[in-house]
Amino acid sequence: MLELLIYLQKMADITGLIIITTLIFLIAPAFLVLYIFIYNKRKKRHIEEKQLMQVTFESELIKTQMEIREQTMQTIGADLHDNIGQLLSLTSLTLNSVKLEDAEKAQQRIDAALDLTMRSIKEMRLLGKLLQGEQLIGLGLSEAIRHEINWIEKSGQYVVNYDIEGEQPVQNNPDKDLILFRILQEVFNNIIKHSKAKEISIKLGYSEQGVRLQVIDNGAGFDVTNLPDDQKGMGLLNIQRRAEIVGGQFFIQSQPGEGTCIDIFIPYP
Amino acid sequence: MLQYFTLNTGIEIVCFLIAMICLNSDNKAEWKVFIVFLLVTCIIEMAGVHFKKIYLADQIHNPPNIWLYNILLLFQICFFSMIFDMLLSKYLNIKIVIFGMGTLLLVTHNYELYQHGIFAYNELTNTIMLVFIVLGSLFYFYSLLKDENYVELKYAYDFWWVAGILFFYFGSTACNIFFKSLSPEKIKSIKHLTYYIYNAFNIILYGCWSYSFICRKWLTSQGLS
Repeated sequence: MLELLIYLQKMADITGLIIITTLIFLIAPAFLVLYIFIYNKRKKRHIEEKQLMQVTFESELIKTQMEIREQTMQTIGADLHDNIGQLLSLTSLTLNSVKLEDAEKAQQRIDAALDLTMRSIKEMRLLGKLLQGEQLIGLGLSEAIRHEINWIEKSGQYVVNYDIEGEQPVQNNPDKDLILFRILQEVFNNIIKHSKAKEISIKLGYSEQGVRLQVIDNGAGFDVTNLPDDQKGMGLLNIQRRAEIVGGQFFIQSQPGEGTCIDIFIPYP
Repeated sequence: MLQYFTLNTGIEIVCFLIAMICLNSDNKAEWKVFIVFLLVTCIIEMAGVHFKKIYLADQIHNPPNIWLYNILLLFQICFFSMIFDMLLSKYLNIKIVIFGMGTLLLVTHNYELYQHGIFAYNELTNTIMLVFIVLGSLFYFYSLLKDENYVELKYAYDFWWVAGILFFYFGSTACNIFFKSLSPEKIKSIKHLTYYIYNAFNIILYGCWSYSFICRKWLTSQGLS
């Protein structure tokens, strides 16, 4: 009887052991499969987020291109109206006032008209270059910036210093160039509209980590921490958002009466 | 004839029929081999039932049906090597490793046959094969996790095939370890337990495989594979 009890006890032990071991060996792959499912869901979410970011980036890029084009067209329109239009009107008036009876005076007016026409042609050439400037981004950011500076300097109101540090990478990133160029245009707009600056210093620095664009002006400056409501739309938020969209950073330093320093760093290429 | 239909053979036959329907017109030869493999498995399992009955009727003059499973083991070695090569080649070229593992298993199989003849089960070969299958399955899952491309796992036929085989071979490890101690000749009262365990794992294995074949058929007919 005792032997039978021992035998039954032994059987119960073995049965329990087998069931527990089998369950453990079954639970392990079950957890593995469950983990793969969870990880796979995360992977899907990550891919979707990446795609969304790509779509946002592309739409931002298109917006930037449109803004650059719009700015170029505005500049051209203003220049045609204020400058070339005036020159051509003056040329027309001068030629209308030519009286052939008085050969000497007529010659003077024709010379003046000729001079005005030459100035108009020169202005037209500069406008042509501005139109090309939009395509110049393809040749590199530094070249496009140089053209933008030429246009600013033409007004005669600003002294612009432009420095390039480091070597430009062999491989460009046209998308990032475009965004940086648009940021610079926004900064120039702010300087022209609000700062009353006389001197602008631009530094474009290339390093292994990325590209750094620094714009310093000696204008009116402002309190960065306490911007009035009407100045919040100065494009600063736009600049910050654009810098962040390409993984960059945006810093601004300014004090009333002490000018403004804008610093943008973008990983490059 | 009905006497050959046990729960085990029934599941295998259902899986074989699903494979026939789903993989018959498959454009990949490797997937068509599933039909042949499952047919061989069904035949051997049914023959196993037959020889078991003969053995139980006269245990002195008839050997147990183990020799049949030694033959099946040979098919399993070749088939699993081919399938794992197909599954893992998507991620890494490890043809030589799989070929080496297959060769090692065949050598062990022959060695065991030489050692104790065909009427004793080739436990060592089965254990080594079990380890290789678990390693192959884990490596497949690792590659799947590492892969940057997203795969819809609900319809991933590869995944379900590997999941089935991992559940079966990893889950039945305990029974395999105690295979000798649990043999019905030694402990008669415990044979039902292992019988139920193996049946449960067979349902999981062939259930996963059948689902995998259905997914394969569905995806290939949609032109998504």
